[in-house]
Amino acid sequence: MSAITAVIKRPVEWAWFGLLAAAMLAGAVAVGFVMAKGHGQVFNLTREIPWGILISTYVFFVVSSTGLCLVSSLGDVWGFREFEVIGRRGHLLAILTLVTGFGVMAMELNHPFRMALYAIISPNLSSPIWWMGTLYGVYLILLCGEFTALMIGSRRLSFVFGLLGFFAAISAHSNLGAVFGLLEARHYWYGSFLPIYFILSALVSGGALTALIVYFNHRARGIPLSADYQRFMLTVGRLQALFLGILMFFIIWKIIPGVYGQPPEKYEATMALVSGPLAFNFWFFEVLVGMVIPFLLLVNRRTLTPFGVTVAGLLCTVGIFFMRYDLVIAGQIVPMRESAGEGPVRLLQYFPSLAEMAIVAAAVAFCLFLYTLAEKFLPMEGGHRH
Amino acid sequence: MSEKRYAIVLETRRCLDCKACTVACKAENLVPLGPENHRNWVTEERLRGRYPRLGQEFTPGQCMHCGNAPCKRVCPTRATGVSPEGIITVDEKKCIGCKYCMTACPYDARYYSEELGAVDKCTFCAHRLAQGRLPACVETCPTKVRTFGDLGDPQSAVSRLLAKAPHRVQKPEMGTRPFLFYLV
Repeated sequence: MSAITAVIKRPVEWAWFGLLAAAMLAGAVAVGFVMAKGHGQVFNLTREIPWGILISTYVFFVVSSTGLCLVSSLGDVWGFREFEVIGRRGHLLAILTLVTGFGVMAMELNHPFRMALYAIISPNLSSPIWWMGTLYGVYLILLCGEFTALMIGSRRLSFVFGLLGFFAAISAHSNLGAVFGLLEARHYWYGSFLPIYFILSALVSGGALTALIVYFNHRARGIPLSADYQRFMLTVGRLQALFLGILMFFIIWKIIPGVYGQPPEKYEATMALVSGPLAFNFWFFEVLVGMVIPFLLLVNRRTLTPFGVTVAGLLCTVGIFFMRYDLVIAGQIVPMRESAGEGPVRLLQYFPSLAEMAIVAAAVAFCLFLYTLAEKFLPMEGGHRH
Repeated sequence: MSEKRYAIVLETRRCLDCKACTVACKAENLVPLGPENHRNWVTEERLRGRYPRLGQEFTPGQCMHCGNAPCKRVCPTRATGVSPEGIITVDEKKCIGCKYCMTACPYDARYYSEELGAVDKCTFCAHRLAQGRLPACVETCPTKVRTFGDLGDPQSAVSRLLAKAPHRVQKPEMGTRPFLFYLV
């Protein structure tokens, strides 16, 4: 039986690695173009929209990392037994998504090496980006400590690293919200909403991704879910429904102050989402795919199955990717200088270039590639009570 | 310690929208070609009145050299600094190209120069000031929209203009304390 599955698995594995390699190659070509021609020529960024899909993809990856850490810590730190099965995989993927996120941001920065130098020898302690980078650095170290503790099976160490990592994750991640939230000039971003919203949306990301890795691991190996994993899937599904229910109200309360009384600039940015150039992304991907359908799947007893939770997780992940994109673009879509003529405020335009999209695809592939290798070579089972 | 505080006072009614200031700035400071690359600009204000009685004003602008500059606050590597005379500067070798300052500036006064490999912006032509000359945009303007000077000196032209005439700054609600003053 196992010989048959090995034979059947091999072409699938080849196809999987081939797909990942193709995406990474496309990204490498795009990076080559950037190095040869410069960011300005290759990316569709402008003076007025200097942050594009690479920044939103960076946000997507680091949100995923935080979410994975928070959800995985439910078992090792907060004592929810159902979540202990996800400890190793969750923390490993948290490390990989964080590293991939850093990589995507390095592609967006014009001088990533200068950053490494001057962030240390010339730090600006009033800069949210400086704090974000530093806190994520601390978080990465703690994640590695936690993963090591889980791999050597030290419950005490994993508790200590997990607890510290939990607070580092929330500090770093809410600080990422502050990178946007502390810009007084950007009415759509400014305020304390984003740091708080980022923590909640990380939980949604984490719930979705932990369900996906459990399901696809078993699927790829052709083994059925054990009772522990079945219980985990149903618990994470219920929890995910709760997170999504709260997230919907976060979105509603982000939209209402944006349209109520038509506050200048905030109103135009919000309307770009509600009925403007970002409306399809917002209503279809964010609301329908990212929240409503997964929520209905998870609250319906007939679809609250491991497969249903996986589908909901996949939809959530896609929706969250668009949430990050829309958030980054909507904040910049209203020009800082008033336009000429009568009529409504002119909105700026941005659509990612082929090279930007290739780098995004390569980043996703790179993360999946590293994760697949880890699954092949590291003992990911264990580290929990069976 | 210098008590100088440079500022520009603008009388926008005099502006013809000829954009000589933008051309002079580009030539003086070797600003790369392309509409995205500029250190100063002229905004066309909305038309007033109805045909045939119409009016329009043009508002030239550039870095406001804010007293409370968001660009300086957010720069992670302190590439953005401020000179003793209040000029907001960019140390090119420290700029990592994160463009955070560009998103933080409420006036869209900055752009990324691929040629410099750093964010670029108005410096009040600091190199000309060192030679006792005026900024290029001030010197070239055919109708003398801009008056440049030192607000630390009560006898300077800018100090006298601001004492004499009511004036405003752009986006005062941002709390940036700009040093470009527009006569009302």
